[in-house]
Amino acid sequence: MTSGVLNLVLKRLAIAVVTLLIVLFAVFFATSMLPGDTASILLGQAATPEAVAGLREAMHLNDPAILRFLRWLLGLLHGDLGTSYANEMPVAALIGGRFVNTMELAGITTLLSVPLALTLGITAAMLRGSLYDRTVTILAIGVISVPEFMVATLAVLLFAVYLKWLPALSSVNEAHTLTDLVRIYAMPVITLTFVISAQMIRMTRAAVIETLSTPYVEMALLKGASRGRMVLKHALPNALGPIVNAVALSLSYLVGGVIIVETIFNYPGIAKLMVDAVATRDLPLIQSCAMIFCLGYLLLITIADIIAIMSNPRLR
Amino acid sequence: MTDKITNWTSADDAMVENAIRRGASRRELLKLLLAGGAAFAAGSVVLGRATNAVAATPVSGGSFKAAGWSSSTADTLDPAKASLSTDYVRCCSLYNRLTFLDKDGVTQMELADSFDSKDAKTWTIKLRKGVTFHDGKDLTAEDVVFSLKRHLDKAVGSKVAKIAAQMTGFKAVDKSTVEITLADPNADLPTILALHHFMIVQDGTTDFSKGNGTGAFVLQTFEPGVRSVVTKNKNYWKSGKPHLDSFEFIAISDDSARVNALLSGDINFAASINPRAMKLIGGQQGFELSKTTSGNYTDLNIRLDMDPGNKADFVAGMKYLVNREQIVKSALRGLGEIGNDQPVSPANIFHNADLKPKAFDPDKAKFHFQKSGLLGQSIPVVASDAATSSIDMAVIIQAAGADIGMKLDVQRVPSDGYWDNYWLKAPIHFGNINPRPTPDILFSLLYASNAPWNESQYKSEKFDKLLVEARGSLDQAKRKEIYGQMQTMVSEEAGTIIPAYISNVDALSSKVKGLEANPLGGMMGYAMAEYLWLEA
Amino acid sequence: MTMARVAASQRSLLGHSYNLVGVVASLVILAWTLIAIFAPTIIPHSIGDIVDDDYFGPMRQGLWLGSDYLGRDMLSRVLMGARYTVGISLASVCIACFSGVVLGMIAAVTGGWLDTCLSRFLDAMNSIPSKLFGLVVVAAVGSSIPALILTLAVIYIPGAYRFARALAVNINTMDFMTVARVRGESTAYLIGSEILPNIMRPVLADFGLRFVFIVLLLSGLSFLGLGLQPPLADWGALVRENIGGLPFAAPAVIVPSLAIASLTISVNLLIDNLPQKIRDRDA
Repeated sequence: MTSGVLNLVLKRLAIAVVTLLIVLFAVFFATSMLPGDTASILLGQAATPEAVAGLREAMHLNDPAILRFLRWLLGLLHGDLGTSYANEMPVAALIGGRFVNTMELAGITTLLSVPLALTLGITAAMLRGSLYDRTVTILAIGVISVPEFMVATLAVLLFAVYLKWLPALSSVNEAHTLTDLVRIYAMPVITLTFVISAQMIRMTRAAVIETLSTPYVEMALLKGASRGRMVLKHALPNALGPIVNAVALSLSYLVGGVIIVETIFNYPGIAKLMVDAVATRDLPLIQSCAMIFCLGYLLLITIADIIAIMSNPRLR
Repeated sequence: MTDKITNWTSADDAMVENAIRRGASRRELLKLLLAGGAAFAAGSVVLGRATNAVAATPVSGGSFKAAGWSSSTADTLDPAKASLSTDYVRCCSLYNRLTFLDKDGVTQMELADSFDSKDAKTWTIKLRKGVTFHDGKDLTAEDVVFSLKRHLDKAVGSKVAKIAAQMTGFKAVDKSTVEITLADPNADLPTILALHHFMIVQDGTTDFSKGNGTGAFVLQTFEPGVRSVVTKNKNYWKSGKPHLDSFEFIAISDDSARVNALLSGDINFAASINPRAMKLIGGQQGFELSKTTSGNYTDLNIRLDMDPGNKADFVAGMKYLVNREQIVKSALRGLGEIGNDQPVSPANIFHNADLKPKAFDPDKAKFHFQKSGLLGQSIPVVASDAATSSIDMAVIIQAAGADIGMKLDVQRVPSDGYWDNYWLKAPIHFGNINPRPTPDILFSLLYASNAPWNESQYKSEKFDKLLVEARGSLDQAKRKEIYGQMQTMVSEEAGTIIPAYISNVDALSSKVKGLEANPLGGMMGYAMAEYLWLEA
Repeated sequence: MTMARVAASQRSLLGHSYNLVGVVASLVILAWTLIAIFAPTIIPHSIGDIVDDDYFGPMRQGLWLGSDYLGRDMLSRVLMGARYTVGISLASVCIACFSGVVLGMIAAVTGGWLDTCLSRFLDAMNSIPSKLFGLVVVAAVGSSIPALILTLAVIYIPGAYRFARALAVNINTMDFMTVARVRGESTAYLIGSEILPNIMRPVLADFGLRFVFIVLLLSGLSFLGLGLQPPLADWGALVRENIGGLPFAAPAVIVPSLAIASLTISVNLLIDNLPQKIRDRDA
């Protein structure tokens, strides 16, 4: 079995490289389709044709975009992410701290939201049709129906402006003690938990109910097996595939999709970096961010696929 | 430029100041203000100012945190490339200019001691002595020549290359004297050099990330798109300044988040707040508002060289269709002054006050549209969040059009790439113009036949001639007359509709003192860092 | 909940069993659909007209839901917003889920290279940031409602695909699938008659969630310039443009939020409480 999994991992790694390449090319073509280039955007309203030409020359943007892209890819092989067009800093330096920030926020949110969502989803499935089940559904959907920016703004108004319990901005560089850390991360983590939990709760519930209604589980229940035991021993392992996929899809949002939380709490992460990069058509930075998003996503779904395969004996 | 709100007058100001000296409580003052007819929020503004006037002894020390509204990885400490308010604020804390504009719009000397010229063509600039850069080197004429000359280098990507182009000769006469020669006479040179882009950097600088200037603060941390921290320059040449020990600047692009961060005490200063948040801040103890009306405006541009703008009646009709009062009232919530389709704002000493804005008149508009044969046709109007309030303005104009059967098809396009793709290009579109200190700059950039940003493609030989005449004249009265005439021409003949000059409102903690309005924009023309102090 | 149980035991003439929650949910959806259809004839004011000098005005006679940030009538804007939120979201979610689920089932049943290629291609698509994608669509084909619907659908196909495939792969290993294969059934039969009925409920739950996501993303894309043009606005956009009214608890921001919640919660509750007869098929 281990060798089978190892084989699978190796195969998936090879495929991941191909997927990554496809994504990088797709992002490159997408960026080239956008009007304007770094020179004209940096000049903004001052972009007269001569000025743009002059700056483009000075920034070495005269080579065809595809050539610059291939050069960047080549550099990537040596572990070099290139230099930002917009401010001439190494991309690695721009991404570094922000990547750590993003991972911290994603990690804490995962630790909180995944156990919470799975517990709610499984218990709701076990008590299907009950008041508890409906309450969980209404709350889960209600919570994601509120736009993220509204959840975040409400949280700030309540906890920072009126109660003054928490700071309105999440300035990571001001965190010195554990209490600071909790105060800083509380609101972004709660907001993100609101956003990503619903999908996990709902999908877990649906998948568990589905397996609970398969003939053999029903048979076992008829024979007098306890419901809780059945869920843990039979239903859950069988539902694991869809559940981990839902979890992976939800968590992938935490890598590149937290732009609203980053903006409202002024938390410097890589989602905002990508937005800036697209706005200035900063190709090396766009590509590097896209690569991180893609790798994060591939990592998550590959783990999901492996868990799915291992949990189902017939798939091994 | 002024703080006057509603029917508040300087007499009322004096009354409030007196009341504070008498020791009136805040509540009494509010009563006083409300009795005077000022709105609640407006009361706060005046209150803040009056208190400032009393507590006039600056306190030294404290760390200050301010938030602007936009920041990105393209943030720069190179004054020539500065493009956002964020860049201006940072550059102002690190560098100095040769001159600056004071609160009344009058040009004052900063690094320069004097500007002299007989013919407005060759200028001799004497530099202040004893000024040093952060790295300890003295300021010399070479630094000034380098700082000004680099704007002509296309590789620099200067935002003011067009304005700088008139400087043709640069000479360091001696250690503290610079001679500048212009292509054509221009009496405004001292004012032009008060633009933020003309900050003085050290000769030979290529890496600007150190922020090595002569300014009030020394750079400590600079992370583009995240934050900057500067600390007090102990050797600053202006005695007694700066008051603050450190000054941190961040940007919070979300309007509500910026206000909330101020109210929660995370920051001391929130720049450019949404007018709709005034009610919120005015209702809280310990916060104040500061209003600046400079020359910033959002204009509706109808290109005269394209369909439908080439039909004079269409343009005339549009000018009647724009309900300026409603735009100021609803889109800007009163934080603006009605404009009269020309770019020289009331904050400018050359403003032509006799030129009255066109009144909203749907019947006249309909008459003109009918005459142009376009009534009933769908006309696209391009708007974007990139041009402040343009979508709201477009919707207001659209609704007015719908009432008389003129169908305007408002097209919201992304902010992303707006200046590149739509501005100056679409037949009918919105623009947004930042304040410029002189009519000459405004007219040369925006209305001369060869202007780089001729938004409506307005061409007039007479106008071009007047522009050159006024530029070279050292006679202030004559210039005022010519500029007045040019304002009338633009207002009647060009295709740019300027419905209002937009005010900027900054919100701050009541502990922040020393803030004054400035014609170059909010945050004291972005130079507030060295003037502010924090009350203990 | 006693009421619901009583209702659940009632049987209609058609032989389906309904329960109260499901009925209420469908009534809410029906009401919004009717409003969406008839909105232009029932709105009291034109949605672009400024009818109030104040902004974020309170609820009062004549302006039953108050006014928005410009002083426009909120009731009219919410009613018209139903049109876009219900219509566009429903169209997009149907396209996204139909394509995603069908492709997912095909991939699971067929396996091999088709599965690998399809999975990796859709993974790659899911890795492209939606904002970049939205900007490219605006740049390439400009702004129109069909473009908006398709963009939303394309953004959500990979997720629907991945979830459906994960479910279908499990079913595919069941004995009855092997039997059906031995019988020589076609792929179309396998996915239509064997797999789909067995994954229907989770797929519908996924549909319900995706619907919520699309309702919310819709306003984000409108702000990129793709889709609805002012003064038209969907509910998400109404919340967004009036967010400044939140500290004042303005109806302008609260009412559209409630509208979104009522619609999305109803859709999901309806899915949970679909008539028994349909649900029994997958037991």
